[in-house]
Amino acid sequence: MTQPKIKFDRVTKRYGPLTVLNQICLDIDPGELVTIIGPSGSGKTTVLRVLMTLESIDDGVIYIDGEPFNKMRAGGALAPASNAHIRRLRARIGMVFQNFNLFPHMSALDNCIEAPIHSLGLARGEAVNRADELLDMVGLAGLRSRYPSQLSGGQQQRVAIARALAMQPEILLFDEPTSALDPEMVGEVLQVIRDLASAHSYTMLLVTHQMGFAREVSDRVCFFDAGQFVEQGPPQELLGSPKNERARQFLSKVLEAR
Amino acid sequence: MNWDWQFTFEVVVPRLLAVVPVTIQATVLSFLLALVLGLALMLLRISPLRVISIPAGEIIEFIRGTPLLVQLFFLFFLLPEIGIVLPPLTTGIVGLGIYNAALCAEVYRAGILNVPAGQWEAAKALNLSACRTYRDIIIPQSLPPIVPALGNYFIGIFKETPLLSFLAVAELMHASKLIGSEYYRFTEAVTVAGVFFLVMSLAAAALVRFAEGRIRGRILH
Repeated sequence: MTQPKIKFDRVTKRYGPLTVLNQICLDIDPGELVTIIGPSGSGKTTVLRVLMTLESIDDGVIYIDGEPFNKMRAGGALAPASNAHIRRLRARIGMVFQNFNLFPHMSALDNCIEAPIHSLGLARGEAVNRADELLDMVGLAGLRSRYPSQLSGGQQQRVAIARALAMQPEILLFDEPTSALDPEMVGEVLQVIRDLASAHSYTMLLVTHQMGFAREVSDRVCFFDAGQFVEQGPPQELLGSPKNERARQFLSKVLEAR
Repeated sequence: MNWDWQFTFEVVVPRLLAVVPVTIQATVLSFLLALVLGLALMLLRISPLRVISIPAGEIIEFIRGTPLLVQLFFLFFLLPEIGIVLPPLTTGIVGLGIYNAALCAEVYRAGILNVPAGQWEAAKALNLSACRTYRDIIIPQSLPPIVPALGNYFIGIFKETPLLSFLAVAELMHASKLIGSEYYRFTEAVTVAGVFFLVMSLAAAALVRFAEGRIRGRILH
């Protein structure tokens, strides 16, 4: 049996009295594309945020390649992870945000070389070459010297994808990557993600409201509600004939709205 | 009131011009000290460790909450008691610098808090070190709103330098008081000192606006 790329083992996250993640468990295989769907405010984004270490977790362990991530092995037991340990494993994960979060004071190119130079330690020339390749791949070859404010939403999100890829991650997290976009720009961003899914071996975790897209690209779809994964399965099955009542209600509402 | 132009141009102006460099020196050095020390205070202030951030906050409040003149006297008369004897000008620069550092620290903090949370998150997701995150991501974005405020403190320090006359620092105000008491003519001495301050603070304001424009141009697009 292959080792899961990512493993959530009874992970709990609370905000004061509110339990956002309630002992969630999830195994994701290397190269798998898993989509998380669910009602707004159900905490599905938090699943990505705790994995990216943007939020601490209150209980449970996250494993990357079998290695504890938020903890580290010390003797036989698990101790709180050191900063160095977290940075070492975090280097395997890249994230694309709903609001892009590009650095507004840097050009598209500079956005894509900042971390490769200062975090991976690449030489500037090499970082620039690779960033150019990636910008070309996402269809923005001619726009490397534009600043984020001079780009459309779809273009900004594609720069953000190139920026995440420039760090050579093995795991890619997409947090509602098209939710902040005008409708006519959704397609270009989905196309980039589609290409990534088909041509590369990234392990991908996607939170989205684009059900059609989820059905098309996912290896597995997970329905998340009230702090837990309620149901999961192959996209046809889960999106076509969900067994869980809440999943059924959610999907009928979402599909009605289209 | 009688105004003596000959006295003005033969005595007052040359003697005041001679001490202008002292005022400028006190202003510039105090401002630089305030910028650097203020940054250090702010970093302590926003430390996640409460044993550091709380005392830093108290120190800032203490400095902001007491008059500058009291602090200057405190340094001037108490430092020698503990064996530190500094020239008056140095004492004045240190006093002005510390006082304004506390003010600058709050300006910096407001600038840093103004940077959206998403920027910190993106930096973290890209695995940038804390130091790099501040240097390349957060501080450049916090500059546009804080530069005008820091510029005001620069001009403020300049206008606070007459307080150094209480420490017998030979700056503009001190020189004008000396002239006044030597010749029993305060009108010309004090008026010319005032005109000097006005001209220099207008020049400083123009300088600040220039710097502001440059930084905006480089950071916002």
